[in-house]
Amino acid sequence: MSQTWASRVILSLTLLFLIGPFFIIIFAGLSAGSTLSFPPDGLSLKWYLAVFSVESFRQSFMLSMLLAVFGTLTALLLGVPAAYAICRYKIPGAETIKLIVAAPIIVPGIIVGLALLRYLVVPLNFTVTLALFLAHTALVLPYAVRVVTATLENLRTDIEEAAILLGCTRLQAFTKAVLPNIKSGILAAFILGFVTSFNQVPVSLFLSGPGVRTLPIDMLAYMEITYDPSVAALSALLAFLSIAIVFIAEKTLGFSRYV
Amino acid sequence: MAILLSEAFKVGGEWSLAGYADFISKPLNRTVFFRTLKLGALVVLVSAVVGYAAAFCIVNLEPAKRGRMFGLIILPLMISPVARTYAWIVILGRTGIVNNTLVGLGISDTPIRFLFTETAVFLGLLQLFMPLMIIALISSMENMPKDAIAAARVLGANWFQVFTRVILPLTREGLVLGGTLVFTGALTAYITPAILGGSKVLMLETLLYQRVNVSNDYVSAGIIATILIVMSFGANVVLRRLAKA
Repeated sequence: MSQTWASRVILSLTLLFLIGPFFIIIFAGLSAGSTLSFPPDGLSLKWYLAVFSVESFRQSFMLSMLLAVFGTLTALLLGVPAAYAICRYKIPGAETIKLIVAAPIIVPGIIVGLALLRYLVVPLNFTVTLALFLAHTALVLPYAVRVVTATLENLRTDIEEAAILLGCTRLQAFTKAVLPNIKSGILAAFILGFVTSFNQVPVSLFLSGPGVRTLPIDMLAYMEITYDPSVAALSALLAFLSIAIVFIAEKTLGFSRYV
Repeated sequence: MAILLSEAFKVGGEWSLAGYADFISKPLNRTVFFRTLKLGALVVLVSAVVGYAAAFCIVNLEPAKRGRMFGLIILPLMISPVARTYAWIVILGRTGIVNNTLVGLGISDTPIRFLFTETAVFLGLLQLFMPLMIIALISSMENMPKDAIAAARVLGANWFQVFTRVILPLTREGLVLGGTLVFTGALTAYITPAILGGSKVLMLETLLYQRVNVSNDYVSAGIIATILIVMSFGANVVLRRLAKA
């Protein structure tokens, strides 16, 4: 009896520390006053509405959205065949490939961003948007490969062999037998990649130009000049968006297996 | 990515060791380096202590509750770090909860400065990376034979002995994995030290940003970049050894 009690206390405290702050953001954004404070000075929705009228937030939201969607799609386009090759063929140096693919996770993002700026944007005249796209693709790639590899490892190889015996080419066997079976893994990889890309800051830190900024960078910049609750409101909205995505993914895919 | 990596090294590589000697001779750089190391280690330590307690409780829950708990633990990972860090401004700021409570209760006459202190950065990093540790510990505890603890108890071990002799050795891999993730995360976090530490409590990442964007000092930037990569890789290698030893 006392043990379950202790366990409850420990878990509640941990969750309070991990999740409590979000409730605070939600309420801080509801403030009617013009500076950030808690408890808020009166309640109003004005800051939640104000978020939508800030032009730069709209622009950077669109950019982040596009980067997250297309960066993740490109990463999957590269990552799915890579994962397939790593799993099915005994290619020489598979371990090395795994290591290289994992490198962006180990190498601090800020350095990747700096390297891109110094060696691609400045000397080769790449546009910032293109560099951002490359950076986000590279960032998501490890997740794509890892999640899809994990799914492929659980898939039996005989269904492909059966498909080939029944007259499919290798490619057809892949598209008709393998792909439908790893669909949920790919979807999970997409969601994980999307969220990672959308939220990521360090890589994009140096990669911003006039009018070209990802949303988190824009929020950081906004925070430096003003102290009003709009960033709290925006944070809360984004948190709701993430929660909704993860909740739906969890219900339909059992998403937490893949993380 | 390989080209990128070598290029990142080249930034500092163009300069011989003289640049490094110069870098180390500046007290600010040393302070920042040791602060980053210290905060990283502290975050790992505290998240391991809390992580063990939380993971142990979660593993012992009934399956349905366990899944829900696990979902709640990974939830914060999916939310923008900017939002997660921003919450601490609301909590610790001049007109935040803590100060309003302290002043309201008459404990303190004026708001206390919490933001831009090491404590603030520490709390922010801890909140950001603790879930990684908890997840790593949960998965290694799930692989632990259930009766090991009961057996040790029957044989007369107290809880401290159970932890050091049974749980710790059996979950070492999880601890090492979690530790690596948390340490590298804390080392390479930019947002948290930027928002909660500002220019008062610089960490290697924020120092790097300043060197590039404020003083255009690419030599220092390259050196910091190299230090960060070496620390990050070093932590990975050392901890992986520990897991196998």
